[in-house]
Amino acid sequence: MPEIKTEQFFAASAAAMKNPKLRRALDRVGSGFDVARISAIDEVTPEVWEQWRQQGRDIKVHTIEHLDYYLDLLYTNVTAAGGQLHFANDASQANEIVAHIARTRNVKVATKSKSMVSEELELNPVLEAIGVEVWETDLGEYIIQLAKETPSHLVAPALHKSKEDVAELFTEKLGIPYDEDIFHMAATARTVLRDKFMEADLGISGANFVVAETGTLVIITNEGNGRLCTSAPRIHIGITGMEKVIPSMQDLAVFLRLLPRSATGQRITSYVSMITGPRRSDDEDGPEEFHLVLVDNGRSRMLADPALREALNCIRCGACLNICPVYQRIGGHAYGWVYPGPIGAVVSPMLIGLKQAKELPQASSLCGACREVCPVKIDIPRMLLDLRHKSAESPDKSQRSAKAAERTVARLYAMLMSSPRLLRLAVRCGRFLQKAERFIPFFSPLSKDGKWIKNAPLPPLSKWTRSRDLPTLPKQTFHEVWQKELSRDDS
Amino acid sequence: MTTPETNETLGVPKAEFLQSVRQALGREDVPPAEPYPRLTETQAELEDQAAQIRRRLEENLPALLDKLAEMAALGGWKVHRASGVEEAIGYIESVARESGATNIVRSAQDVFDQVPVDAALTNLGLKVTTVLRDEANTREALREEIRQAGIGITGADYALAETGSLIILPRRGLSRLVSLVPPVHIALVRPEEVLESLDDLFLLRRLEYHQRGGEMGSYLNFITGPSRTADIEMTIVEGVHGPKEVHMVILG
Ligand code: SF4
Repeated sequence: MPEIKTEQFFAASAAAMKNPKLRRALDRVGSGFDVARISAIDEVTPEVWEQWRQQGRDIKVHTIEHLDYYLDLLYTNVTAAGGQLHFANDASQANEIVAHIARTRNVKVATKSKSMVSEELELNPVLEAIGVEVWETDLGEYIIQLAKETPSHLVAPALHKSKEDVAELFTEKLGIPYDEDIFHMAATARTVLRDKFMEADLGISGANFVVAETGTLVIITNEGNGRLCTSAPRIHIGITGMEKVIPSMQDLAVFLRLLPRSATGQRITSYVSMITGPRRSDDEDGPEEFHLVLVDNGRSRMLADPALREALNCIRCGACLNICPVYQRIGGHAYGWVYPGPIGAVVSPMLIGLKQAKELPQASSLCGACREVCPVKIDIPRMLLDLRHKSAESPDKSQRSAKAAERTVARLYAMLMSSPRLLRLAVRCGRFLQKAERFIPFFSPLSKDGKWIKNAPLPPLSKWTRSRDLPTLPKQTFHEVWQKELSRDDS
Repeated sequence: MTTPETNETLGVPKAEFLQSVRQALGREDVPPAEPYPRLTETQAELEDQAAQIRRRLEENLPALLDKLAEMAALGGWKVHRASGVEEAIGYIESVARESGATNIVRSAQDVFDQVPVDAALTNLGLKVTTVLRDEANTREALREEIRQAGIGITGADYALAETGSLIILPRRGLSRLVSLVPPVHIALVRPEEVLESLDDLFLLRRLEYHQRGGEMGSYLNFITGPSRTADIEMTIVEGVHGPKEVHMVILG
């Protein structure tokens, strides 16, 4: 698996917020993808959109609840179409399947279209180790492959790179003169990769959906590299998570309406390719072999937990990233693993373990924007809370996000709030301190109007006020107002 | 060429994998209590629905052609509605001239019997190759022709008014690469190929699958406008791996 850096979440996100180049890149996500998404929804009307979302969700929920049944049906139909379906429990097993196919078929060059699952499995180094040349062909993926980086967005992997970054990279890696014209750079990639497509023995793709009814793999792309990867080489291997299966080909109608609009605001992408088995004997072209590799790699843990199962409904559109106030400020890399943003904060702890990713569920203000934009209505905030709960209550200390001090504060707070007498006492102490501060010269912790505590002098409050203000205690608490005035009506 | 062993078991055996999924779900090995409606449809029911679709399409054809033209243009196609064969050929000639192409490849579909483009293009001094395998034309030779071509011309299997998409089903006579590798693609669409919605398309595909005893061909492609990317600074660039310029000629 790719290097897991989820434990450095706080440091990485603090650094990201200070990076002006990244801020400019992230601004484009909101103004580009999200604005386009909203106008695409307005065009079909929010009412119709809501119906589609519900249909999409219902299909996903039904399929996941009967996943074993649909995987079996898929197996039957992939096989009937002359393809082969392989199951893998984990990353190393999945990589070994692909490596085995590459070895036994004497594969020298492989081209890949975009696949987040192959990023998750870290397939490329495994193939390179057995002497296969691997070429990422999605422009964004190609850029980050050259830069030896990881994707920072589900849909736009090289979002964090400026055109100057890419121009420098091309100069360094391809030995061409510096040229920051975006059109010229895209043309360069076309030329370099065109030769590779024609040379490749193996094409590797991901899958947006796989259809159980017919054994069909569906990929949704804009560049055309997905079409080339599944048409030009003599072998095609599709790799994806086991949750991508849907029952009927008819179900695609709603997903093809939901996914492009949510991802990029397009009514439909330039290409949708549906592959059913290898080329037939009289076809003009196409691969001689078709393999589909379905991976578990931690997904059955999500399946086994009813509170988190719905994370498997995700169609990886990226809409929740584009709208998220946290993602918009820190970008994808700070999340420390393949899947960023709100959905990543749910999926990563489940796939790599809560111990390593325990900070991610904290990275949310629980504003609920992700839930509102999700095309399959996944309740991400609920799952983030569930994961926070699991982390806080874990008997295993290493899974807990909160330090001992924070836990003590939380416990004291709980004590205070459950005892009216203690609370009254505490309020009185607080008021006393608030009055007393006036006599401290120079360093008043309060704002001028006395309504906010700006720099509390002592921990743990001082930690809180480092990045936020805390309201001061009012002259009268609600409780006191109630006692004195409002409750009179009752008597 | 190595002959692959067929049906080798790689990874986890199916039974074992499915058992672990079942265990995670806490389920027995049983089908869904409520069968999935779409999967229980019989061929007769699908035929019935297909007949309804056909009737609806016939009744609304003029409006559907307008809608197709509108949506295709929004999707990035250069749309040309030709009132007759002459006009269609004239348009293709003008695209060929403007593109500066010297080589053209085309599929072997029956629309070319109706719209004989070869003679007109050859008269312009262009080399036209029909991509259809035979003794002389091997897969490799044809692939090279496609690589050299400046324009690829195909017909349509369907055209979708809802999305402005061309739908092709690559097979004998219809290479996957003719509409993909050359920088310009011209697609000829006949009125009888127009469908209204995604639902129509998938229903017809499923019907064919049933009728042919569980066979639907190896490939289906939606094409909607030119190849695009926005991977550098979210600036849209057309023609990154596929065609930069796509023309839809609607015959009617
Ligand atoms: S959780 Fe929903 S919004 Fe986020 S990527 Fe998945 S499908 Fe899209």
